[in-house]
Amino acid sequence: MEVAKRHGIHIPSLCYRKGFEGLARCRLCLVEVKEGSRRRIVSSCVYPIKENIEVTVTTDEIQRMRKNIIMLLLLKAPNNSYINKLAEEYKVAAPERYMNPLDDENCILCGLCVKACEKMGTNAISFVNRGIYKKVSTPYDDASKDCIGCGACAEVCPTNAILVEDNEGKRKIWNREFNMVKCSLCGSYFATEEAYKLMQEKLNDNEEPICNECRKKIAADKLKESFANIY
Amino acid sequence: MDRNKDRRILVCCGTGCLANNSYNVYLKFKERLSEDAEIEVKPIMKSTGCNGLCEKGPVVKILPDEISYFKVTVDDVGEIVEKTIKNFETVDRLLYYDTNSGKRIKSHKEASFYKGQLKIALRNIGEINPLSIEDYMERGGYKALKKALDMKPEDIIREVELSGLRGRGGAGFPTGVKWRTCSEYKDQPKYVVCNGDEGDPGAFMDRSIMEGDPNTVIEGMIICGYAIGAHRGFLYIRDEYELALKNVRAAIDNAREKGFLGKNILNSGFDFDLEIVRGGGAFVCGESSALMASIEGNVGEPRAKYIRSVERGLWDKPTVLNNVETWANIPPIIINGWKWFKSIGTEGNYGTKVFSLVGKVKNTGLVEVPMGTTLRQLVYDIGGGIINNRPFKAVQTGGPSGGCIPKEHLDIPLDFDSLKAIGSMMGSGGVIVMDDTTCMVDVARYYMNFLAEESCGKCTTCREGIRTMLHILTNITEGKGEMEDIELLKEIAETVMEASLCGLGKSAPNPVLTTLEYFKDEYIEHIADKRCASGVCKNLTSYYIDENKCIGCTICSKNCPVGAISGRLKEVHVIDEDRCIKCGTCAIKCPRGAVRIGGMKVEA
Repeated sequence: MEVAKRHGIHIPSLCYRKGFEGLARCRLCLVEVKEGSRRRIVSSCVYPIKENIEVTVTTDEIQRMRKNIIMLLLLKAPNNSYINKLAEEYKVAAPERYMNPLDDENCILCGLCVKACEKMGTNAISFVNRGIYKKVSTPYDDASKDCIGCGACAEVCPTNAILVEDNEGKRKIWNREFNMVKCSLCGSYFATEEAYKLMQEKLNDNEEPICNECRKKIAADKLKESFANIY
Repeated sequence: MDRNKDRRILVCCGTGCLANNSYNVYLKFKERLSEDAEIEVKPIMKSTGCNGLCEKGPVVKILPDEISYFKVTVDDVGEIVEKTIKNFETVDRLLYYDTNSGKRIKSHKEASFYKGQLKIALRNIGEINPLSIEDYMERGGYKALKKALDMKPEDIIREVELSGLRGRGGAGFPTGVKWRTCSEYKDQPKYVVCNGDEGDPGAFMDRSIMEGDPNTVIEGMIICGYAIGAHRGFLYIRDEYELALKNVRAAIDNAREKGFLGKNILNSGFDFDLEIVRGGGAFVCGESSALMASIEGNVGEPRAKYIRSVERGLWDKPTVLNNVETWANIPPIIINGWKWFKSIGTEGNYGTKVFSLVGKVKNTGLVEVPMGTTLRQLVYDIGGGIINNRPFKAVQTGGPSGGCIPKEHLDIPLDFDSLKAIGSMMGSGGVIVMDDTTCMVDVARYYMNFLAEESCGKCTTCREGIRTMLHILTNITEGKGEMEDIELLKEIAETVMEASLCGLGKSAPNPVLTTLEYFKDEYIEHIADKRCASGVCKNLTSYYIDENKCIGCTICSKNCPVGAISGRLKEVHVIDEDRCIKCGTCAIKCPRGAVRIGGMKVEA
């Protein structure tokens, strides 16, 4: 997958994200690998690349599988705009008899949010149950004491399935409400208190809170200043 | 009474017999013998592991007389002691009734259920007390370990390789190759793992081995540890298997005491120890990579196995994982040599396989036969045929991952390759026999329902594919199916098979694909005629009485639980369809076969 991306070759996927190890969940990134006389279908996001193999990104067989996978996703989340766009792109229609038009499910269980939470070091959300009852949640669906409300999970979600409500200094996510921190320069709310605290600890930083936008602005100003001195 | 000197009374205390009160039979024998002054030399009493013929338990064997009694109750103990122990007579009514010949048989070894069998993995079960390591040693136990420790590790691996032993857990991967590859990686520590997370519906051979002969598994694992250079092993045992856990735990303690486990085993300088891990209660944890994730304390989800676990398994270290039955085959191979093992079975499929024969067959239980025994021999010779001599319809092998085999393939040899060739698989060896009262569409639905709960749910194809297949199959069994569903079902099944991540997903559609292939007519009947000929799918079933056949005996109306049948003595009876709950009792009870099964009731 990484090799293909580096060479500008597109392989469709829902659960791959640069910086994370492959999850092999969505099954869209299947490719055919030919090694000697042996051909097989592998998930490109976790397949360890090696020398002397021939990879075909799309064959008729793989295209058929991808279409069927998209159809299955469409049955899972029939009203999700991202999945519908994907279905349109691949010219896939799901049998209407098996679609529930009122279904408001958006999660396709790609697992990126769980991985993002793990990478943050918080591990507040995880997979719960198994089989067709599997879902992502906090322990017992309660407000999690480990959650810092950083919103990384929602940020990585391909189908916008995680609800984040920011309203007048409060953020609601995963059944918990957080107080937000204001930027000391522009005054906008930009992070929850818990997420900001973690950031300070990790960076060993005691400065006043500054939001991303303002940080960028400061950096740009510095750059401008140094270039002004050259010319 | 010198004849009593070497006599032994063996009472089966496997789970099946225990459930039928065998422990109290055992206690009663003990009590009766201890208080009886007339018996000068007391016979030795033993509670043993499972004898295989669980359906006819509790089983009591008296040796060396070679008498086996079946369905023994506490009340029979007195008579057995009086007649058999004191006077060397048999109690005929408790002897095995051979369904094939219609005769009572004195020794179980003569019974057709046991005659076609050859016991390697089950060799000690039913003969020894599983809690006694001395019993195991008396029958040659731990001799293989002593022999192995005098061999070079390389030679042990070659012995296993040459024997042609293939993993008994389902896929049939050559055990020797697995050991060799693992031994070639130098990374330390290495691990040895026993997969005792038996989960297939209808399979119980691993439980029986762990309960009845836990030492053989332990011995096999120590030998492997020595051969590949590992010093630590894990037994992952299904948590519901309480007796297996208890017996394996005791066996590990005993082995440690005897110096077979721990530091410097038998002064060889080799250290090895074992730990038990209780299963997490998920079917998918029987899949090797999910099992390892579970031992590590993670969610039991499989991973992609492009890098095999012999290279990076448990905690990313080289690991050999084998199934319980595979481990039980190791000590006999070391003792008797590869040539002996290879002389049993068929080309490419050597040795024996344990099957758990269940379903609509007369003799149910655990059966160990040479590979290549045909399905017909298993069902008819050993199993005694179908209950009530009804027509054979199919067998389901290999659990939820296996397929349904129709009667056209009754002469198929039971081995890894032949079963795979017809779309089923060996799996762990569960064999479920079905007769004409089984609906094949419902069977497919049953397995999808099982897998819907038991798939780990990690990858899209397996999780959503099974959900959709279950939806379609439920529709068909409820009479809401349409012809286009068959094509859709097939399309989804094929994608699930090809695109899923692990073995569970790749084999999950087998029950659907094989029933579609061999029993397509039934699907069509359900969809087009809205009729379930076996009377299983209640929405598609109605019962009516054939006027020409009914003799007016009133048996049906007396047995109907809801009083839906009316009619006078010696007059034709009628079923009130509005009141009928479709339980099928009338059809079973009717002496003339006058109750017919019709299709879905059409609203007038």
